Amino acid sequence: MSVALAAARLHGPHIDWGGLSPILALLGGAVVVLLVGLAPRREVRRLVASGLALVAFAAALGCTIWQWDASKSIVSGALRVDDLALAVNLILVSAGAATVLLSWRARASGEAGHGEFYALVLTSTAGMSVLVAAQNTVSLFLGIELLSIPLYVLCATELHRSPSLESGLKYLVIGSVGSATLLYGLAMIYGATGSTDFDAIASAIASGGLASDPLLLTGIALVVVGLAFKSSVAPFHQWTPDVYEGAPTPITTFMAVATKAAALGIFLRFFDVALVSAQVSWAPALAALATISIVVGNVGALGQSSLKRLLAYSAVAQAGYLLAGVVVSTRAGARATVFYLAVYLLMNLAAFAVVVARERETGLGDDIAAVEGLGASRPWLAWPMTIAMLSLAGIPATAGFVGKLFLIQASADGGYTWLGVVIVVGSMVSLAYYLRVVAAMWMRPGPSLGATEAASPYPAIAGGSPEADPDAIGTSTPAAPPAGDGGPGAGAREGFQPEVVGLALAAGAATVFFGIVPSPLVDLARAAGNSLLGLF
Amino acid sequence: MTATTFGWLVLLFPLAGTVVLGLGWRSLPGRSAGWIGTAAIAASFACAVVCLAALQSHHPGARQLTSTLWDYAVTVGVDARLSILVDPLAVMMILVVSGISALIHLYSVSYLWSDRGYARFFSYLNFFVFSMLLLVLAGNFLVLIIGWAFVGAASYLLISFWYRRTTATRAGIKAFVINVVGDVGLVLGTYFILKHTGTLDFVKTFNAVPHVFARDDGDLVAGCVLLLVGAFAKSAQIPLHTWLPDAMEGPTPVSALIHAATMVTAGVYLIARLHPLFERAPAAADVGAVIGCLTLVVAATIALAQTDVKRVIAYSTMSQIGYMIMGVSVGAYAAGLFHLMTHAFFKALLFMAAGSLIGAMAGEQSLNRMGGFRRAMPFTYAAFVVGGLALSGVPPFSGFFSKDEILLVTGERGGWHWILYVAGYAGALLTAVYTFRLIFRAFHGEPVKEATELEHGHLAHADHPFNPATGEEEDTDVGFPGPEHHIAERDPPMRLAMGVLAVGALVAGLVQIPKVDFVIDHFLHPSFADSALYEVRTKNGLLAVGLIVGTALGLAGVAIAYRIWVTRPGTAAAIQARLTFVHRLLVNKWYFDELLDLLFVRPGAWMGRFAQQTFERVVVNEALVGGTTGLVRAGSAAVRAAQSGFVRYYAGVLVIGIAAVSLYFLLQS
Repeated sequence: MSVALAAARLHGPHIDWGGLSPILALLGGAVVVLLVGLAPRREVRRLVASGLALVAFAAALGCTIWQWDASKSIVSGALRVDDLALAVNLILVSAGAATVLLSWRARASGEAGHGEFYALVLTSTAGMSVLVAAQNTVSLFLGIELLSIPLYVLCATELHRSPSLESGLKYLVIGSVGSATLLYGLAMIYGATGSTDFDAIASAIASGGLASDPLLLTGIALVVVGLAFKSSVAPFHQWTPDVYEGAPTPITTFMAVATKAAALGIFLRFFDVALVSAQVSWAPALAALATISIVVGNVGALGQSSLKRLLAYSAVAQAGYLLAGVVVSTRAGARATVFYLAVYLLMNLAAFAVVVARERETGLGDDIAAVEGLGASRPWLAWPMTIAMLSLAGIPATAGFVGKLFLIQASADGGYTWLGVVIVVGSMVSLAYYLRVVAAMWMRPGPSLGATEAASPYPAIAGGSPEADPDAIGTSTPAAPPAGDGGPGAGAREGFQPEVVGLALAAGAATVFFGIVPSPLVDLARAAGNSLLGLF
Repeated sequence: MTATTFGWLVLLFPLAGTVVLGLGWRSLPGRSAGWIGTAAIAASFACAVVCLAALQSHHPGARQLTSTLWDYAVTVGVDARLSILVDPLAVMMILVVSGISALIHLYSVSYLWSDRGYARFFSYLNFFVFSMLLLVLAGNFLVLIIGWAFVGAASYLLISFWYRRTTATRAGIKAFVINVVGDVGLVLGTYFILKHTGTLDFVKTFNAVPHVFARDDGDLVAGCVLLLVGAFAKSAQIPLHTWLPDAMEGPTPVSALIHAATMVTAGVYLIARLHPLFERAPAAADVGAVIGCLTLVVAATIALAQTDVKRVIAYSTMSQIGYMIMGVSVGAYAAGLFHLMTHAFFKALLFMAAGSLIGAMAGEQSLNRMGGFRRAMPFTYAAFVVGGLALSGVPPFSGFFSKDEILLVTGERGGWHWILYVAGYAGALLTAVYTFRLIFRAFHGEPVKEATELEHGHLAHADHPFNPATGEEEDTDVGFPGPEHHIAERDPPMRLAMGVLAVGALVAGLVQIPKVDFVIDHFLHPSFADSALYEVRTKNGLLAVGLIVGTALGLAGVAIAYRIWVTRPGTAAAIQARLTFVHRLLVNKWYFDELLDLLFVRPGAWMGRFAQQTFERVVVNEALVGGTTGLVRAGSAAVRAAQSGFVRYYAGVLVIGIAAVSLYFLLQS
């Protein structure tokens, strides 16, 4: 018996623990955090769960760095660990860790239960890691679902605020349509090529003359739609403003940066590895989608007064910019996309962190009025926001400028000069709304105190005490925790939030730093681009 | 540590000083801001000295060291790196810039003490030094352009330092606009060269030039002439010189540092640095030589008739830079740079002495109101005389050796260069005359009220502060000069700075005595090893003639000035009455301001009005702007209208999108 067991163990598949380690760290972290959610005391749950989540992200970050320069297929060829996957993983894990920091005082994590909340963030990040490493269509779909389902829930974690619930439901319904579309597309590609592995699909297309096969092309069309949906590329973007606005702001941050990075990562891998031989068929379509996205995103953002909606439309436009690097399917394009993803992480973190801080400070929600007069009253918040806005618009000496420069150069070198022109025109239009935020911060007086006192961002739903924790609702003791104990006290507006301000400052500083010294990120992006072996 | 490490340190200290002073100005008590600024530049100078020592330890053939801090954007066709080039030329420039700057910072510690913008002043001044060092250490065109533009910005900030004086702000704007014209020239010129060589790096460009460009290649000449536009704007050469006299609105240390010793010599440095280009395009180099010569004569004549102390010295600066530009354009690189160095000493000294004199006059700058300060201000007088003799080229003062050498090389080029040679000596005579006119009028003759009071230990103090240019009354709050005045006789830091410079003006010429030693020639040789025109001067040729004529003209000039303004005080008025037209021409600076106004400003303004009233209103506002914003607004409304909030609509749009994309792909099959 024991001999048989030993033999079975000996003949078991080889498991590359190192390659899997980032995903294992995230999923293991999720399990532990979920268990901590059972701890009896609320403060313990809050501190330990978020702390352990941070530890898990740090471990995943360490594992990713440990695996750097690897180039191997693991899990029977289902996943590929190479510099592209690892570079995007760095972005994802940083975004996850930042989300934990931003959620630390958020109502959402309290209402949903700290253990569950952070476990869902970790799981979703693990799904993204699977997605960017996916090397066959099955793991691709698995990754998409693993990242999406926790996000549907996370959007709805502010249980007592109807917009949050609405956004979760909307995302679920529309997201299911998107996932289904993607699945159909993958099935059709399998039908046409007889394979799920990316390399096998590529060789089937190249050798079998399938480039004009209707089945394959329909499949590609549906995959394009499915992935465009996940990366909020117009015209499949319509869920974005509503969901971004309704979701708890830390989760919006997570969706904006991490989901986008994961979706663009798989865009790069699927189109530049599996479908690279059919580039002439799909590139014009992607270029058209990028153009539509740039136009719709930038034009749509113009009239917005909600910062989160504004950033949502901006995300649509930026997705268009990012697609330009995929369209050309060259190493320079992949490099530009990865570089811009890293930059995109920094500038969005800076912007969203300021939105989070002001939401809690003013009671004006995410309205643009919340940042009025910020330059005079809170310069340490106004600067990161200003830098983020200028960088998103692509002003020189910020990382956004360098990123756009690479994208435009890649499009021009790849024969899509007109797309570069579209990016420039889009950036020009975008200044109109980015500068509006900057102007509001530096050139308007702050909101009057009366208005601040009057409006509360969270109208309590019937019966629901603003005090989030079910334990507190259940007990009838009037001895609510004093406002000074640092907990996410009820209507009490947070004054000092060092982790949020610190995050905003760090991200803003990094945005400027990489605008002046882009070389570290360029090296990262170059390694990622070079790992796509089929490209030039 | 290598020479380049010290090159970076040379840059670091002034930058750190700027940041510290700019951010910490609130919490810097007393004169600490001044001392911090001075210490930063002194540290930079010390690093420059070590850099020199480190460089000299290399073999002469390997004294061009490049160092890159990081790559900014390196792709096909562009290699934008943050790199510096440390070679003898750059090291000589950083020594001059940081050394003179350190002394001027020291002088300013006292001179600007009562000013409300004390820390701001030193922050700007450190920023200027950083920019200038960046300019001269630049290892490629990109960094050169950055330094070039920064220097222009620093100059603007410092000219307009007293920002509540309209004359100062107007002068700042004028300087900035003309400097930007130069910047545009520099950038376009760089483009002409980059287009052919494909690299921004200096050393690579120089290596590529002989292979890429034919002699007097059209694009190269065009590029070099555009670079010259940049050089002329920064170095105040005709016709882009009109900003320099106005720039004297800035505080006197600024005039000494930026508008005499360092920034205005950037054009000279540029031509010397890019000599392989100019030697390949002799047509462009000739333009430089002629303009330099023209400037040196015209500016010297204007200086004869000006009555504002600082403006006289400003025109003298223009004239001396004319010599340098002419020198480096005809191939007298070592001589031109030697003159740059000696000029930095004696011109900074003259400006500092002028500052002291103006302090004694309680802010008054007109020569007409000065006189007889000789006994009241012996130190300032001595400084003025040393500086004046050096400027006039009287042996053994430094200006004598350097000016003569430029003219010597020019004469030896032969051909039409003889005209430049003769004009140069004519300019030398004029230089001696206007310099000593200034000294005799201010220090000799009947003592004015301020001078007699000062002899009794009483420093003049204006009852009501006023603008010396317009006579308008002003206060002494921030944005205006402070209430106190400072003279070298009473402030040790000022005296120390002027003393060091006076020694420099006296002995700096000795490093390069004809037929005795050739320190500068040998030192700079590695930078000009590829030059066909560069040679260590050992020939006799015109040497003896030049030395004798130079000495004679210098002394003659002093004698003429003595005769006109000391022994027979009425002579000047008589000459003026005889030659009314010439006098008016000179007082009005050859009407260059009016000419530029007529040629550029007015047509520009007229076109602007036309464009605004007809073109913009009809075409731009109505059609372009109205049309575009209307379009964008309609688009925005459409996008928002589509954003109904209903999931069923979203799903509908999604399905339509799927259909459209699928249709496209099916059409491909």
